[in-house]
Amino acid sequence: MKVDEDANLLVLIIDTNPIVWRKSNFSLKEALRHILVFINAHLALKHDNDVAIIASHVGVSKFLYPIPMTHENSDKTIFPNMYQKFRVIDEKVIANMSALFEDVDTPNNYPDKASSMMAGALSMALCYINRITKADEIGHVKSRILIISVSPDSPYQYISIMNCIFSAQKLCIPIDVCKVYGSDTPVFLQQASHITGGKYLKLEMPQGLLQFLMIAFLPDRYNKKYLCLPGEERVDFGAACFCHKKIIDVGYVCSVCLSSILNLICDLFSVYQNVMILFLNHL
Amino acid sequence: MPTVIVAHFKTNIYEYLEALQKSTLDKLYEEPATCLAIFRLLPSLARQLVMSLLFSTQIMSKADLRQWIKNDKESLSKFEEALDKLQKLHIMIEQENKTIALNSSFKQKFQECLTGGGTHQSFGKLYNKPHRHSQSNSHKLPDIKTLDEHAKTKWEEILHFMVGTDRMNSPGASVLKVVTKANLMREKEGKGLEITNKGFQFLLQDVNTQVWAFLIQYLDLASEMLHMNVVEVLNFFFMLGSLELGQDYSVEGLTDTQRQLLDDLTNYGLIYRPKKSSKRYYPTRLATTLTSGNSAIVSNSSSNNPTDDDDSATEQGFIIVETNYKLYAYTSSQLQISVLNLFCNLQFQFSNMVTAELTRESVRKALKHGITASQIISYLTSHAHPQMKKRPALLPSTVVDQIQLWEMELNRLVITNSYLYKEFRTFADYEVVLKHANTLGVVVWSSDSKKMIGITEAGHERVKAFIKRKIVQRRSNGGDTTSSAGGTPAR
Repeated sequence: MKVDEDANLLVLIIDTNPIVWRKSNFSLKEALRHILVFINAHLALKHDNDVAIIASHVGVSKFLYPIPMTHENSDKTIFPNMYQKFRVIDEKVIANMSALFEDVDTPNNYPDKASSMMAGALSMALCYINRITKADEIGHVKSRILIISVSPDSPYQYISIMNCIFSAQKLCIPIDVCKVYGSDTPVFLQQASHITGGKYLKLEMPQGLLQFLMIAFLPDRYNKKYLCLPGEERVDFGAACFCHKKIIDVGYVCSVCLSSILNLICDLFSVYQNVMILFLNHL
Repeated sequence: MPTVIVAHFKTNIYEYLEALQKSTLDKLYEEPATCLAIFRLLPSLARQLVMSLLFSTQIMSKADLRQWIKNDKESLSKFEEALDKLQKLHIMIEQENKTIALNSSFKQKFQECLTGGGTHQSFGKLYNKPHRHSQSNSHKLPDIKTLDEHAKTKWEEILHFMVGTDRMNSPGASVLKVVTKANLMREKEGKGLEITNKGFQFLLQDVNTQVWAFLIQYLDLASEMLHMNVVEVLNFFFMLGSLELGQDYSVEGLTDTQRQLLDDLTNYGLIYRPKKSSKRYYPTRLATTLTSGNSAIVSNSSSNNPTDDDDSATEQGFIIVETNYKLYAYTSSQLQISVLNLFCNLQFQFSNMVTAELTRESVRKALKHGITASQIISYLTSHAHPQMKKRPALLPSTVVDQIQLWEMELNRLVITNSYLYKEFRTFADYEVVLKHANTLGVVVWSSDSKKMIGITEAGHERVKAFIKRKIVQRRSNGGDTTSSAGGTPAR
């Protein structure tokens, strides 16, 4: 099969932290409209194209599509004005997202309400892609991950996110990041797109979300070779210390396990040998 | 000389669409289902360009678009190819002030397709009334298995008729008309229809290509003889491609032309109708995979597997080819055996398989019928048993090379009718005639040692006239024993 004929699997991770979305003047509902049209566009490109959507919420991340049917009769109404595949996916996403927001207990119990469970979502995405790739014998499904993010990085998730990023790099899965709102740069996500060969884009005008998604994030791996896509080249290589989870510029690295720590005398770590001082942020 | 049939069905449809007039294309783009189907036929860079421009309101020029493409040769050539195709299909229109824009009707309808708006009902109106016969057992609703059976029987009826196996029922008159018009079979004196070279090649193609070739011929026939509206017919075809297998659809929203189509399409196995006058129809697998490119017929061997609902490609492979040119086909389908009989020598038939051998005679027989070696090889590759996929190269290279060599054998000799000029008296005469013939460019062969020239049929008269002139010249010049003349022409 020619490379042009590959099926593309797009795993979309949507950051649905309601507190941060409310702060921005672009509502989640509006953004969801744009995102659904973008998903339809991705499915329209090829008959075999597939999509998986994960919501990264406060304290939990859940699959919005595909999820196994829990009730016996799936909704069989066919809408003559819309391509069936589009409609099924759109309805399921909306239904599951409403269900997600109705459950207020989990976010309330989670301490850090400023960020979302990005590490969990990334892990779920990678596991799903792994399953699909193993099940596909012919080997023509090409996957990629697109993250639509609004909330800042959580240093508590540094180690997990880094592990996910390295696995994605090993599996050759590009991670693209679209930052819709947020003043501070998400250091980890930028590094993610840099290492895996994806693109990081911060939107100046969130109202144009659909157009940005169509131009910058719709081309698949085959088309990316021929197009010049917008994206930021400069990457902020910050890291978080393993003990206090603070983002540091200068710190120490253990030469045995390569973990970065804030200072030599840290009550959370007992033994460190041959620790080197390393400048972690090079300009 | 065997004609080259385009292998991929997308190219077939694409060429047909290109040949349509711009106004017809504009009318076609008023249905979102058609826009989606035609969109999927475009090359991938063209699809990306359409998507990027779909929701933008800015005015772009060709140079602006070129800025999006990387600056190396391959990218730019792909860009040019994409733009060319888009303009030929009238999706992108270049306006007077050098700006380029999407066809406005296409833009609007495709937007509606992606957002689900509009009231076009272009994706198939569902049959909403409760089924009258759902309670009684005698009229059961067709399930997917019945639909597949129906599609397979109808389509194979046509193919069997072409191959010439004895069957009870020959297909309906409209099928015969299309088959004759497509030059797949021709009238033989008194005895009915016999298959042509093009027909042989048709048999070896994959089902999607065959169905589309049929449908395109039907389109030509429809517009000439039946005066059907081409736009409506095409819209119906593309809508069929987007329907769900196993779901019934109402005939209410269809125009008269489209209702006429339903009968013919039932004969080809694309649609199933419980009764002739029924208000609903069911698309079969042949219809739903029209625009998707997936495999359209479920193979025999997988009938024991649990049914899966998606119409993705199922295993079609049943042929094992060995390096000693022996072939083992695990099938009991009469049609597939007949197709194999075209180019191999069948030896034994068992209950679930057939053994055959690829010999020089059998392949030459096929080549003489007009089948090319590449078609035989692609048929064997596409129907290769899954076991064969474990080898490094799917078919053994000896067999592939040998089939191609047998084809080249037919091309070893090229025969040209010509006139042979011999028995020139002197070498000088020979040279003069040769020089003149060379300037005319009609020399097929010449030999200095034997003093013979071969002249093409077209040039014969002129060379003869030249020699006669020379003879007359010599006689008038030199009159004595010095020899006249040129050669005696012999065929």
